[in-house]
Amino acid sequence: MKVSVIILLLMTLTALAAPFLANDRSFSSLLSPPIPYHPNSTDSDAILTPPNRSHLLGTDDIGRDVLAQLIWGTRISLSVGLVAMSIALTLGIFLGGIAGYFGGIWDLLISRLIEIFSCFPTFFFILALLSFVGPSLLNLMIVIGGTSWPGIARLVRAEFFRLREEEFVKAASALGAGSFRILFRHLLPNIVRPLVVIASFGIAAAILGEASLSFLGFGVRPEDPSWGSLLASGEAYWDVAWWLTLAPGSAIFLTVTAFNLLGESFRNR
Amino acid sequence: MMKQYVLKRFFLLLPTFLGITGLTFFMLQLAPGDPAALKAQSFTELLADPQQTEAVVTETQKLYGLEKPLSLQYLLWLKRIVLFDFGESYRDHRPVMAKIAEALPITLLLNALTLLVIFVIAFPLGAYNALKPNSFHDRVSALFLFLLYSLPSFWFALLLIVLFAGGDYLNLFPLIGIFSDGAERLPWYGRIGNLLWHLILPVIVLSVANIAFLSRFVRASLVEVMKKEYIRTAYAKGLSPFQVMVKHAFKNALLPLVTLFGSLLPALLSGSVIVEQIFSIPGMGRLSFESVLARDYPVIMGITVMTATLMLISYFVTDIVYGFLDPRLRLHERRGL
Amino acid sequence: MKMRSHFKTFRCCGSCHLRRSTSPLARGAPGIQRRRHPDYVDFKMTSKIFFTLLFLLLTSCTYRLERDARELVMHLAAEPATLNLLTYSDHYGAQVLGNIYERLIDVDAKTLTFTPKLATHWEISADGKTITFFLRENIRWHDGFPFTADDVIFTFERILDPAVDAPRLRQQYLDVEKLEKINDYTIQFHYKRPYFGAFFTAGALPVLPKHVFKAGENFNAHEIGRSPIGTGPYRFVSWEKGRSLRLVRHEEYWDHKPQIKGIVFNIIPNGTVAFQFLKKGGLDLFELSPMQWEKQSSSHSFQERFRKYHYFPPNFSFIAWNMRRPLFADKRVRQAMTMLLDRSSIIEKQLGGLGKIVTGSAYPLSKDYDTSIEPLPYNPERAIALLREAGFDDHDGDGLLDREGVVFEFTYLYPNNSNFGKKIGLLLQRQLQNVGIRMHLEQLEWATLLSRMQKRDFDALSLSWIPPLQADPFQLWHSSQADRGSNISGFRHAEVDRLLEEGRTLFDEDERAKRYQKVHRLLYEEQPVLFLFQMPTLAAVSKRFENVQAYPLGLKPREWTIESTAMLKAW
Repeated sequence: MKVSVIILLLMTLTALAAPFLANDRSFSSLLSPPIPYHPNSTDSDAILTPPNRSHLLGTDDIGRDVLAQLIWGTRISLSVGLVAMSIALTLGIFLGGIAGYFGGIWDLLISRLIEIFSCFPTFFFILALLSFVGPSLLNLMIVIGGTSWPGIARLVRAEFFRLREEEFVKAASALGAGSFRILFRHLLPNIVRPLVVIASFGIAAAILGEASLSFLGFGVRPEDPSWGSLLASGEAYWDVAWWLTLAPGSAIFLTVTAFNLLGESFRNR
Repeated sequence: MMKQYVLKRFFLLLPTFLGITGLTFFMLQLAPGDPAALKAQSFTELLADPQQTEAVVTETQKLYGLEKPLSLQYLLWLKRIVLFDFGESYRDHRPVMAKIAEALPITLLLNALTLLVIFVIAFPLGAYNALKPNSFHDRVSALFLFLLYSLPSFWFALLLIVLFAGGDYLNLFPLIGIFSDGAERLPWYGRIGNLLWHLILPVIVLSVANIAFLSRFVRASLVEVMKKEYIRTAYAKGLSPFQVMVKHAFKNALLPLVTLFGSLLPALLSGSVIVEQIFSIPGMGRLSFESVLARDYPVIMGITVMTATLMLISYFVTDIVYGFLDPRLRLHERRGL
Repeated sequence: MKMRSHFKTFRCCGSCHLRRSTSPLARGAPGIQRRRHPDYVDFKMTSKIFFTLLFLLLTSCTYRLERDARELVMHLAAEPATLNLLTYSDHYGAQVLGNIYERLIDVDAKTLTFTPKLATHWEISADGKTITFFLRENIRWHDGFPFTADDVIFTFERILDPAVDAPRLRQQYLDVEKLEKINDYTIQFHYKRPYFGAFFTAGALPVLPKHVFKAGENFNAHEIGRSPIGTGPYRFVSWEKGRSLRLVRHEEYWDHKPQIKGIVFNIIPNGTVAFQFLKKGGLDLFELSPMQWEKQSSSHSFQERFRKYHYFPPNFSFIAWNMRRPLFADKRVRQAMTMLLDRSSIIEKQLGGLGKIVTGSAYPLSKDYDTSIEPLPYNPERAIALLREAGFDDHDGDGLLDREGVVFEFTYLYPNNSNFGKKIGLLLQRQLQNVGIRMHLEQLEWATLLSRMQKRDFDALSLSWIPPLQADPFQLWHSSQADRGSNISGFRHAEVDRLLEEGRTLFDEDERAKRYQKVHRLLYEEQPVLFLFQMPTLAAVSKRFENVQAYPLGLKPREWTIESTAMLKAW
């Protein structure tokens, strides 16, 4: 548990500080970036070079520094995970909560909506949406989030159904609390723990999903360095450039493991 | 009361079905890319007069029935599928059902084998860990399983190929497809063996992630159940921990798997795009991927209908079973609706 | 915890643990019968199944399959949708069908001239509108029926039939007024207008056996699309859906029979896996990527088993500017863009020295290409000067060029399966950034890209074009093609239009060449697209085969000989 938190904290810091860690220009005269390469700066003389003194993790097939890409890639991967999950959580809590608490016609409609979205062949949905709106980072996040919300909604709905009958809710209602107040102040806090579990695993899944989509050619734009696209482009050169797959693979692996362990520890508490 | 419940659940399936198919249909048509234009794609043609090209594309659209307004197309399509006619694929004009019928058994087999492997490994592992929770081996296997779970599948697949099938290191397994060239000449048991030999690597890739999940799940369930009173009773009766687990705990811990099995059937049929692409397995995943890229609407709609129908059926059955088991849920549903 | 699914729909809704805790069964409430749940997993049964399968698997190891060394095994990156000669639309189908079917004429790989095939000789009338082909008389289809003019007429009628799903082909023959059968072995094309390319199109007419089709059948779904019958040196044997296609040598072939006894096409979508398969010994012929050629095929074991060849078929890559947009309307801007990309350095360092810079759209080995034209050099200073002339300068000091308040910013599109497009884009982006131009990259799947291209909704597009041997630049550069044809840049030039229109009607190669060379020079001046490279095709061939030669148009497996007759391991 502690290990995960430390790892994730380090990742977040790296993500936030990326422009200062790896850049070919410095923002102040005092501190120049420790890694003097921008992820998109190409060096035609250093194509597929193994890790050495000037390129700590080697270069890729266009001459871009791998470590710089890895550092900047932290931003993309973390944000994909977090934003996608936030979208899924928002939609899920909102829709599931309404269905579970108010019931009636709302439940009827929203349950159908949940069924529709969970029966959808996920892959078609993602692909079609990405073709429709274009493969940008934001769209990727929206699409991944938009396909993960049904599970959350079902959980929230079931929980709210159950909790609705509890004494404390009835008491609050008797005291004159409005519906929304009950929802937010009383019901929501009770589902935080299972939601955190789902969120952690969901973020991990979103990061892996981004990598898989990049592999199939539907990932982020090439000027946005993501671990997934690095991994996907590196797989063709596995025998001459092991660093191209090892570096992003390990990064993905570490982050995903950290999130999964986090989720697991929450579940077991 | 039960009958009412069943009927109600059944009729609610209809709007969902319409919702899924309608949404897919309109989304497909609105997505950029026109199958007629793709076929007529004439970037390299001689004597391409744009008027002529347009005329030809329009003709092709007529052939595919695409010139009618969208809602009309949807209604016509609905009318046909009620009669189980899914139409012809745009790519090769074969009946959609034939194409699905070709790809389905392969995916089914692959997934069934994967499930088998998962169960055979995950259950004992989870149970063993549940016997002594938080012990050393529990922690170590948890870590190891998480490591496996966190690998991107395509990376893992390529790693396996390179190490075991690539000819550079070990060369134990075949690389592509599900049968070797000339496998028809083998006797029937040889063919089965050949098939299994081809499927080992894909099954490993597919099962790895899910073994982790399932074994942790089993472990968690069992640990919870083991704390119950009737277990203590069993111990008091003199049974060993192992016997207790097998005879009493298992059955109860597996109950939540009902929900899991609910989504099992459709999952069995959808196929994994990445694994099928890497191992060149002509299953449902590859069919769906290729159809989307070629904007082969009839096939895409056919696959959607099939997946949606099966998922709905399994949800329906799951709900009925739960309603049967737990009367309170039935009441809840009624109040809610 | 989410059950990982690789886009399958294994999904844990998370509500299971809740339902469990509310179910009276799980709470162990006494008095309620614990019945065996219908989904109860019988562990003993599953392990029995598992071990049986394991046993079968292990015993199967005793059966080792082999393949004939006189067969050529190749790979296809995707399965052809159909093998129907008229309705197929991908080049995978073309590869397979090229061995089964023949056309009226063929192209000689060495001399690049037209040679007789199903036709023995031909006549073109003085006005160019009538082309007569005299067909060979002793040819039989693979099923034994004789080949006659009826087959040609039948196929032609099918192509023009709107019910036949052959839009690409139909476009090519809409200019034919009539195809007349003179006798059983003579046919005559009547064209509406004289056009030099008509001979090639007419001669390349696909021919299907008429006797296989019955009246009133659905042509598109006909059996022949799954088991084709042709006149070529190889006969169709089998198609294992999704896995492989097999052809075998036609023993009664009317011409010189090839030595290779059979051809097998394996379908392998993933390029890395296909390369592995080659190295493993599963393939005999493979097209290498530049990196594979340079770095990944130098091991001792590879050199021992394969030989590498390269040749330059007609192709070129380019970046098309949308001249309708204000940014690229000025030719100085376009010239500047060309001068900002260091093409020779890219060839040298990124492409391993493979590839040649091209300056026009004609095939460099043909007469239409003016070889005296030197490519615009890499010259950022001159480029900046040109941009300044065109009004682009950093007026507001933000580091970016702008004109009348509008920043020089645009998006470059490329197909998502083109590694080359991505590389060039990234390199160009970097170069442009150094002079203050902001370029974004966007990768699109082919269907979407095509749609954008047709709507002319783009700033810059990266594409490559494979022209036929006798290319007619009309469709690329004539102003009539700008709105809805292949002239995607929107290039309009009165002089070029005139030259193209003239060239079309000239049947004398040299006369045409004069016009097209002038067009080449004008294109060089105007730079409607940034011409990049002609890339070589890089091939690895198993050393088992002898007499392998690399012609400009490719390899000719039909000439190859095999010495060894050993059996090889089959995977």
